[in-house]
Amino acid sequence: MTESLTTGAHLTLWLEAFVTLALFSFLYKDNPVYKFVEHVFAGLSAGYYAGLICQSVIYTQLMDPLYTDFGANFMLLIPFVFGMMMLTRLTPIGPIPDLSWMSRWGLAITVGSTAGIFLIAQLHGLVMPQTLDTFAQFSKVTDFRSFAMASLILVGVISTLVYFYFSKEHKGVLGGVAKVGIWFIMVAFGAQFGYTVMGRVSLLIGRMSFLIDDWIGGSIGSLFN
Amino acid sequence: MNDSNTKVGIWEKISQLDRRWIYLSVAVSVIIPLIWPISVPIGITPEARQLYDAIDELPDSSTVMLTFDFYASALPETEPAARAALHHLFQKNCKILTVTTIPLGGPAISERVTRDMAKKYDKVYGIDYVNLGFKANYVAVLSGMGSSIEGIYPSDNSGTRLADLPMMKDIKDYGDIDFIFVVADNAIVDYWVSIVNAQYGTPVGASVTAVSAPKYYPLVSSGQLTGLLGGMKGAAEYEILVGQRAEAVKGMSVQSLVHFLIIAMVLLGNIGYFISRRKKTGAAF
Repeated sequence: MTESLTTGAHLTLWLEAFVTLALFSFLYKDNPVYKFVEHVFAGLSAGYYAGLICQSVIYTQLMDPLYTDFGANFMLLIPFVFGMMMLTRLTPIGPIPDLSWMSRWGLAITVGSTAGIFLIAQLHGLVMPQTLDTFAQFSKVTDFRSFAMASLILVGVISTLVYFYFSKEHKGVLGGVAKVGIWFIMVAFGAQFGYTVMGRVSLLIGRMSFLIDDWIGGSIGSLFN
Repeated sequence: MNDSNTKVGIWEKISQLDRRWIYLSVAVSVIIPLIWPISVPIGITPEARQLYDAIDELPDSSTVMLTFDFYASALPETEPAARAALHHLFQKNCKILTVTTIPLGGPAISERVTRDMAKKYDKVYGIDYVNLGFKANYVAVLSGMGSSIEGIYPSDNSGTRLADLPMMKDIKDYGDIDFIFVVADNAIVDYWVSIVNAQYGTPVGASVTAVSAPKYYPLVSSGQLTGLLGGMKGAAEYEILVGQRAEAVKGMSVQSLVHFLIIAMVLLGNIGYFISRRKKTGAAF
């Protein structure tokens, strides 16, 4: 691997190593090198994203279809006009008066349609199937263990929901059930924390693996061969 | 002032340890096993086995959509899973359609990983696999592909029209796709399940980052997800199942050592905290 590295590959590896080490330097303390790399990342991301949207949406799905067959695609002018209206939020600019009220139309359509799609998707695709499955666990009971697991899930779901019921003070039976709910929430947070640790360690392994195998073993190693 | 109050004991020192020592010890415990790897046993979870079996039971030459819904920052967890999935799918001669809902890095990663894996199996672009690339607004993309994939993606990631790609002649919508293998680092799995699986009935399996894995186990239990891989551990399980031990399996030995260190630190930190508190207030454990 080391012998086949081109100059460009060497430069890429060194640049990547510099950026990685610059970001790690924050662990010691905040410093100008870290800030520089952070700003470069933010700028590159914004620029790349803008270019990608221009190419994949504005050109491919608006300009190109309108140019190639205007008659069949003239309906695309409607979202185009609403999209342009959103830009009126930038007014007033120079001689252009304040037209920012126009941006609300495009925003209203976006929010309305998104809410409609999400509501159906969430209810039909997640809330209902999960509610049904909470009870359907009992239809899968074959022995005491599976019965205990089904009961545990049912108690966990109900007590956790009760914990988030704030219309009545958590006292008496309601308070007791809510306390059981807290225990289930704590167990869920614990599992989440454990997985989060594993996830973060994985990212560190990825970077260390790059520094040791690719940068030191590959680029630096080839300099001594 | 009382001498016993001013004297700092070992437990107080531990509980007030500069965090940079912890960072250094974690770094050392990552570097050592990377240089001198150790072997650790990796158990296969039922969820990983379920995903493997679902793919394995697909008839040869089935069409599978593989998603690269992750940013470059999640590569250590997600790329091994995507590679292991590609090993399995290419071994079975599946037609692979890759897609991404992630703008930053998604199209480039899917292109690099898929082409690299295709080379190993002598697969031809346009006949054995197609990379659709990225399109903004994932809700519209996921919904729209139910009516027409070509309507959402008139051309592939390189700008070639789908009509010019032989593989796409028989793939028009979700009805022509036998399985969707989602590799993701975010909540997009929710939408693959709630929009695609719930509305179009296409089976969906997922490999997700460890952070989001706990959220998706209930979806496996309810049958909405056909199998689940959680983080690097899940990727390692799939590598073992397909017989291609690679980066994830290598990473798991490091994971184990770091986890021991973190557990030790959590224990020491808590013991230190309770002893310090008891000294200050005289409170019992």
